[in-house]
Amino acid sequence: MTPVRQVVLILLVALIPAGVTAVVHPRRPPWSEETLAPGEEKLKTVLTWGSNALWVDARSRRAYEADHVPGALLLNLEEWDSLFPRFLDQWSPERKIVVYCDSKACEMSHEVAARLERSGFSSVYVLKGGWEEWKKAAK
Amino acid sequence: MEKSGKVISPRPTGLGIPFVKAGRFFARLALAGVFIFAGAVKIYDPGQFAIEVQRYQLLPWKVCAAIAIYLPWLELLSGFCLFLKSFERGALVLITLLLSIFTFALASALVRGLSIDCGCFGHAFTSTGTVVPILRNLLLLFFAGTLWTKHR
Repeated sequence: MTPVRQVVLILLVALIPAGVTAVVHPRRPPWSEETLAPGEEKLKTVLTWGSNALWVDARSRRAYEADHVPGALLLNLEEWDSLFPRFLDQWSPERKIVVYCDSKACEMSHEVAARLERSGFSSVYVLKGGWEEWKKAAK
Repeated sequence: MEKSGKVISPRPTGLGIPFVKAGRFFARLALAGVFIFAGAVKIYDPGQFAIEVQRYQLLPWKVCAAIAIYLPWLELLSGFCLFLKSFERGALVLITLLLSIFTFALASALVRGLSIDCGCFGHAFTSTGTVVPILRNLLLLFFAGTLWTKHR
């Protein structure tokens, strides 16, 4: 058999299990998934990181004190200088930083994430849907 | 050419042959092993793999989803076919092509400054960055090259 025929055959045979995956796999990707903006991450993905995720609440102190993601640190732009040292204490290079604000409409999480990246931190993500998404999932 | 006019063969002779054979066997084992493992771990969670493909910001979501469903099976099958004599060359063509595409995608992410994981092995390895996977792919391409020499 020529290499071209071999390639075509392999490509075709792979279509069979892929077709089955597309129809019956419980973890198959949805076709109409809303796209993630650069740097954003879905709650479902972040939850798989477990304790490797360092949660950062970019909302106001008042909102944070009312309720927040368990273990989340308050770090907003208004109180950056006073809150940043505590963040540094909790941070370690292997942890992924997940920043959230109220909902997908708020921009504060993106601003805090951008400031962290400018400060030299890598693996900084914004939780898509923010606190609203977390509450929805917790119900 | 020798003085007698006899053409010198580029192929190894004598004691070199077992080493070349052993080297090719190792290259085949490494390539097949990596592709079978990479395919298998991604087959487990194609939804997550689609997100990882999307992070490269090269393709629309629907294409990412289709790749996430199809590519792991193609990797798995290509890995296995590398051991089948009648499909070896076809598998080698696909593996070389896939490694080249993966390396291009990783290099483009690196150039654009994207802070992403390779996604090469699903959840099996995280926080990989892009530089190490590029170097690994280049090594695997070298292994593929050693197998190509057999088919010259």
